[in-house]
Amino acid sequence: MAASTVTKSKKRSYFNVSKLGVVFSVLLIIVIVAYYFIRPQQATAVYASTLRQSTPLILGALCGLIGERSGIINIGIEGQMLMAAFIAFLVNVYMGNLFVAVVAGVAIGAFIGLFLAWMSITLKMDQIIGGTIINILALGLTSFFYIAGLTTQGKLQPIPLGPLANIPLIGPVLFNNAPITYLTIILVFVMQFMLFRTVWGLRTRAVGEHPSAADTVGIRVNVTRYLNTTFAGCFAGLAGAYLTLEAVGSFERGMTNGRGFIALAVMIFGKWTPLGAWGGALLFGAASALQTQFQFLGLDFIPHQFIGMFPYVLTIVVLAGFVGRSRPPAAEGKVYDPE
Amino acid sequence: MKKSVLLFTTLFIVLAMLLAACGGGGAEEAAEEADCSSDDVFCVGLVTDVGEVDDKSFNQSAWEGVQQAGTELGAKVEYIETGDAKDYGANIDLFAGQNYDVIVTVGFALTEATAAAAAKYPDIDFIGVDQFQGEVMDNLAGLLFPEDKAGFQAGALAAMLTESDTIAAVLGTDLVPPVVAFKEGYEGGAKYINPDINLISTFHPGGMDVAFTDPEWGATTAKQAIDQGADVVFGAGGKTGNGALIETAGVDGAFCIGVDSDQWETVPEAHSCLVSSAMKLITPGVFELVSLSKDGSLPGGNFFGQTGLAPFHDFEDQIPQEVKDKLAEIEAGLNDGSIETGY
Repeated sequence: MAASTVTKSKKRSYFNVSKLGVVFSVLLIIVIVAYYFIRPQQATAVYASTLRQSTPLILGALCGLIGERSGIINIGIEGQMLMAAFIAFLVNVYMGNLFVAVVAGVAIGAFIGLFLAWMSITLKMDQIIGGTIINILALGLTSFFYIAGLTTQGKLQPIPLGPLANIPLIGPVLFNNAPITYLTIILVFVMQFMLFRTVWGLRTRAVGEHPSAADTVGIRVNVTRYLNTTFAGCFAGLAGAYLTLEAVGSFERGMTNGRGFIALAVMIFGKWTPLGAWGGALLFGAASALQTQFQFLGLDFIPHQFIGMFPYVLTIVVLAGFVGRSRPPAAEGKVYDPE
Repeated sequence: MKKSVLLFTTLFIVLAMLLAACGGGGAEEAAEEADCSSDDVFCVGLVTDVGEVDDKSFNQSAWEGVQQAGTELGAKVEYIETGDAKDYGANIDLFAGQNYDVIVTVGFALTEATAAAAAKYPDIDFIGVDQFQGEVMDNLAGLLFPEDKAGFQAGALAAMLTESDTIAAVLGTDLVPPVVAFKEGYEGGAKYINPDINLISTFHPGGMDVAFTDPEWGATTAKQAIDQGADVVFGAGGKTGNGALIETAGVDGAFCIGVDSDQWETVPEAHSCLVSSAMKLITPGVFELVSLSKDGSLPGGNFFGQTGLAPFHDFEDQIPQEVKDKLAEIEAGLNDGSIETGY
């Protein structure tokens, strides 16, 4: 009973797009296309950059939201990403196989997710402290074990998708990317479907909203949380692998530079939904790409720090004015004790 | 349940202590070996900027200069890696407390901390790399470099190599004057060769804590520039710049130019595009000042080191002779003052 109400209300909010939202989307598309017609090469470069910069953010956000949807707050995404980036880099250095390196990064992400679940569920530790431990531990371990001078055997290169890559505007932006970026775009839609249209998603959300109700209908709350937090870790692991294997091709200490925290902001921006979070990630990516482009164009009259501030201001404005109340899952951060 | 919490905490503390013991041991252990307060022992300590002594960039170059003093002057050398900008003063005090003879501090960000320490410890000589001295103190030498000249040469080289007439620069932060000097010099040099050249350059938008350690931003920014037709990328900004170099290496026909040291040695991933580097000769500069200090004649105030372009390495045969001649002509012009960098 309780479960079916949850789906219904979600369904409604899922399809309930406000008029303002429609107007805004249409305007946005007009601006995007107009920019392309005025300066095709420049616009394409900016859009491609937007997508690249959004990739680690949306992956981090997916990690956060799967955890939080089932009631575990994860602020250790930054550490998970960093650790995965480091391990993926090492595997690439010593084995020279990019695929194995990606798998290793994902596995480390999952392992740290499991560690977080163990701390929050079995040890009943404060989840914020648990996440902080992961962040500090990852920064310390990776800095300590990093050996200067290691070089990799190359990084993941873009794979143009045949004739699709020749479509103007869309082709070079969407269909000429490296594997992790493609995978990320697919994962966003897959996770959106999984969370709101499958049994697993329903159970996950039930556990995050009302664990004792979920328990009464036979869902094993803590097992679900364990599995989900571990599964979510894969996404953070993939984000880390993206940084060292696809974006840079090398590891540097502390190279995540707060992307794991921005991922949390992106998650809240998207109201704990994969598609919404993707919108947020693209917004951050676009602001960063535009910030660079403004400097390329020599528009020095606007200080570039000011433009760098833009996504944060926009987050506040959008959250306060357009998205409405962004409500976290009701039972997040709370230990579920069946006794 | 309680047991496992206890076990976990104990494990964590033990691990943390182990790590701390391995990491920070350097300076304390060394103090037991030799007594720096003795006149016979010449001790040189180096405090890095936030970052590591093996950063493939200016901390490493300065440390190599100190190490050279260790082998050639028989000095006892030691370094402290600064982990947080709040610790500059404390790290300097650590060496001063052990009566080191010379303390080298690396980086513009340590300017104030070094000046304060020099006033506090008048018997110790200080060498500040990249630190401009407004007031002259006898025991403090600021090692500066005309980065604009090295940038000018790099810009001229870039302008002669480009086929698209679009060249890019991916830079650290404009909060650090040497980075701005590199940029202005680069643009001046490019325009000296081709006044109509399309220059696209960007500073990292973050603060000093992230601007030099963000290779992903460097890489994606370089890509954004290349997508717009740039075929030469100047990466000037520590690891952020290295990210730009590695990204450019993946693009056929594009060139990249490194910064500070000869990055052929430090970023092997970029060999396929790295034609040269705009170098600050930090190592010989530091060594020279340390030697002067040993002789008791440290020049207070600002001391200018040398800059130049790194060798072409594998591109030696690909660079036409007329380009090399032009670069030599520019270098001579910069040195005798007939060419101004415009900075």
